[in-house]
Amino acid sequence: MDSKMDRIISDLSHHIRLNRGFFLWMGFLLLAFLACLYAYIQQLKYGLGVAGVRDFVSWGLYISNFVFFVASSLIGMLISAVLGLIGMKWVHPITRIAETIAVAFAAVAGLVIVMDMGRPERLAYVFIYARFQSPILWDVTVITTYFVISLLLLFIPMIPDLAVLYKRFGNLPGWLKPVYRVLSLNWSDHPEQNRIIRRSVYILLILIIPAALSIHTVTSWLFALTTRPGWDSTIFGPYFVSGAFVAGCAAVIIAMFFFRKNYKLQDYLTDLHFNNMGKVLVMVAFVYLYFNINEYLVPGYKLKRADAVHLEELMTGRFALMFWIVQVGGLLIPLILMLFRRMRRPLPLTIISAAVLVAAWFKRFLIVVPTLSHPYLPIQHVPENYRVYTPTLIEIAITLLSFILVLIIITLISKFFPVIPLVETAKDRGLDPLKNTES
Amino acid sequence: MNRPLFILLLVFAAAFRVLAQNPAWVVPDDQKDRISPVKFTTAMAKQGEGIYMKNCQSCHGIPAKKNFAAIKPSPGDLSEPKAGNQKDGELFYRITTGKAPMPQFGNILSEDERWSVISFLRSFHKGYVQPEPGKTTVAGKRIKLSMTCDTVKKKIIVKAVEITKEGPLPAKGVGIAVFVRRYFGDMQLADSRLTSEYGYAGFDWPQDLPGDRSGNVILTARLSDPSQNMQEAMVRDTFAIGVPSDKPSLTDTRAMWSTRDKAPVWMILTYTLSVIVVWYFIIFIILSVLDIRKIKQT
Repeated sequence: MDSKMDRIISDLSHHIRLNRGFFLWMGFLLLAFLACLYAYIQQLKYGLGVAGVRDFVSWGLYISNFVFFVASSLIGMLISAVLGLIGMKWVHPITRIAETIAVAFAAVAGLVIVMDMGRPERLAYVFIYARFQSPILWDVTVITTYFVISLLLLFIPMIPDLAVLYKRFGNLPGWLKPVYRVLSLNWSDHPEQNRIIRRSVYILLILIIPAALSIHTVTSWLFALTTRPGWDSTIFGPYFVSGAFVAGCAAVIIAMFFFRKNYKLQDYLTDLHFNNMGKVLVMVAFVYLYFNINEYLVPGYKLKRADAVHLEELMTGRFALMFWIVQVGGLLIPLILMLFRRMRRPLPLTIISAAVLVAAWFKRFLIVVPTLSHPYLPIQHVPENYRVYTPTLIEIAITLLSFILVLIIITLISKFFPVIPLVETAKDRGLDPLKNTES
Repeated sequence: MNRPLFILLLVFAAAFRVLAQNPAWVVPDDQKDRISPVKFTTAMAKQGEGIYMKNCQSCHGIPAKKNFAAIKPSPGDLSEPKAGNQKDGELFYRITTGKAPMPQFGNILSEDERWSVISFLRSFHKGYVQPEPGKTTVAGKRIKLSMTCDTVKKKIIVKAVEITKEGPLPAKGVGIAVFVRRYFGDMQLADSRLTSEYGYAGFDWPQDLPGDRSGNVILTARLSDPSQNMQEAMVRDTFAIGVPSDKPSLTDTRAMWSTRDKAPVWMILTYTLSVIVVWYFIIFIILSVLDIRKIKQT
């Protein structure tokens, strides 16, 4: 009984098992998690003073990190909804990877905010004393909504896969069987069931577009609704959204490379997929470059006094090295390289994406910190560490904590569920997922 | 130049720089010995506490809690000996004149208020014994001020009377300044003037001076330059000379900057409607997906 369908099932699901590699990796993650959790307990005990944030730079690493997380989660919408709805068939094997990244980053983004709170036990006040006028309320609302939609977009298309694997995958670990049985909702390829799934996914794909656009636009409003140099910009919403696609595409490419190699998915995540994702990344990077030029050239031409101080600090001052590495090394050079087909092959593209993703993180830092270091009223009569923001070790550990959480979520989802949509792949190849005949 | 001399010069230069950066806050000798005209009481300290919490606590923190602001130069905790070892007059002078970044409270707090703040602080200073009021070393003429408003000539009239053993006499040539109360502290209304032979000084006021709903403004007259031979004097009163202005508070109406209860209607609607629409679909989808369980292959 070695039909084509069995072959697909075994190809896409052989990684679903508890092996040594998994225990080693999870053990490493959990150890790192505990170490960083200790840092957070220190912060809970002694207050935010253990972090480098002070009166002036009060956001620092945490909020830069938050913006990065929200940004990375946006990719779920671009891949599944935008590319999916316009009928790009090649995105099918990538959609689940994109949704997994979206779910993981969106879930932890909320936690990052809690990590930045001096009194996290007062979290409920955000809702109890919520003001409709405050972007904070909108932010909390859209992030929750986006997370739920992403979770549903991850889960609903997976229902047939779970049913097929439950019925046909002999190596499914025993302890996972009840989980698969419950989650597969008795799916049996009934036309009515498929209709419900198709309709639900279709509605969600439409819903997720405004939800995703608002989540990052509202996040940008946390900055742009002030009059501070560097933030006081009308294009901050689209600027953030386009930057988010750049970060998210890079994250997806890195994940694709990892899954392809470790789960041996070369037949499903082909060079074509990398080539196309490279093209998508080039496109969004061009849009982002365009917004960057607007964002710096327009105030740079007028040079209002506060803007001048801000731009000088970025381009020739204290943040110049980071700024130029991020802009040239993390945007311009990758963009040029990826124009060449050879650079869109899996390995080079992944290396380029890693540079883009790291730069994307530092770009958020460059958006948050320099502006906070230059309030309109001069900083006077304060200790040096109020004036110059330096993240502390504890702060860095807590930031790492959030990354570890993301990795744990991605690992668990991708390890115990098929990374590539199984039934969709089978049907794309004209196979009946529940029988051994070709449908 | 020989080396020891060079080093010596360097040290002097460095010492001078330190001095230049942080000049000491010197209280003039004649001000050091000022004392409170009245005996400190618990009630006075209580009043002082209220004033302290409103005006001083943001930088100096709550006395004895050492939670003063982390700014330079350090404001310090005023319950400590650094403040406790100073004379009443020194504290009074520092509160009155200020020294950046500490504001001067001369125009913001009345003398009584400043003294009550000191009486509050003294309650933390162990071993402090208040000098007996009345044995004041800063003597001087006692001037009494009174203020009236001539609505016909449109003048504020301040009368200065010197209290002598022989009885009140008109005080001639005394400098008077008139202030109007605003949100924080007082603003001088017109240039200060000297009193006439009969002890009178008249002041004009801007005709568009904004008052409260009934046009009331609070005016204060005080000696513009109280010197050694005159004790401080002031009078405060309310006059209906302002333009009645009934400006509703900025937070009275629905606005972006108001509280939640006063959020703009369109904003509440936008938020609520979008949340309802989106979550209607989400819940609809969750329920219909759960229905998949009930459908059986025939």
